[in-house]
Amino acid sequence: MKKAAIAFSLSLVSGLALAQAPDAASKGDPVAGRLKATAICSGCHGVPGIRAAFPEVYNVPKLGGQNEGYLLSALKSYKAGDRFNQTMRAQASNLSDKEMADIAAYYAQGSAQTASK
Amino acid sequence: MNSKLLAAIAIAACVPLAAAAKGNAEAGKTKAETCKACHGEGGAKPIMNEYPILAGQHQDYIAAALTQYKSGKRKNATMNGFAAALKPDDIQDLAAFFASQPSPLKNKY
Repeated sequence: MKKAAIAFSLSLVSGLALAQAPDAASKGDPVAGRLKATAICSGCHGVPGIRAAFPEVYNVPKLGGQNEGYLLSALKSYKAGDRFNQTMRAQASNLSDKEMADIAAYYAQGSAQTASK
Repeated sequence: MNSKLLAAIAIAACVPLAAAAKGNAEAGKTKAETCKACHGEGGAKPIMNEYPILAGQHQDYIAAALTQYKSGKRKNATMNGFAAALKPDDIQDLAAFFASQPSPLKNKY
């Protein structure tokens, strides 16, 4: 009886783990994200001395190794207009949710300098 | 005449860069006590994945972000609240402190 209960609870736990696994995997694909990032982000991010020029002048942020959840929410905020920067607004507006998740997964994984060098 | 004008413009253009370098990291450390609760020690280990790592981020970018939170231009209920209480000097000190911390960020630029 006790054994059965333990087996049952174990199966529950593994069932939960299985149910969560595909979810975690669909969060963002860093390989797909790398292609996107190389095409559209790497012209500014990961390049020495690149600064946002308007409306304020500051170094564009370092992205490599940043938290994935934060990167995703940043892209969504730019698209939604909660964060204002013309370049980022324009770029994020063209991205689907999946593309944003992929890009976030890519930058969270490592260096932003892997793109072209 | 033209070269003098150009020189004046060139000098004026350098002023914002010099201004960006200010900020006292030591003073910022004390002021960053509040930030630690969410962004972790030195801004290096946020308690949630949705919060950014601040340690080692560009100083002028952190300052710009805080300034935008303060003005409401960048919207986030929590950060708008905290930044509202910051003076420009506080923002520069905090930015200097976080930029100087050992960083888990994996690129230099």
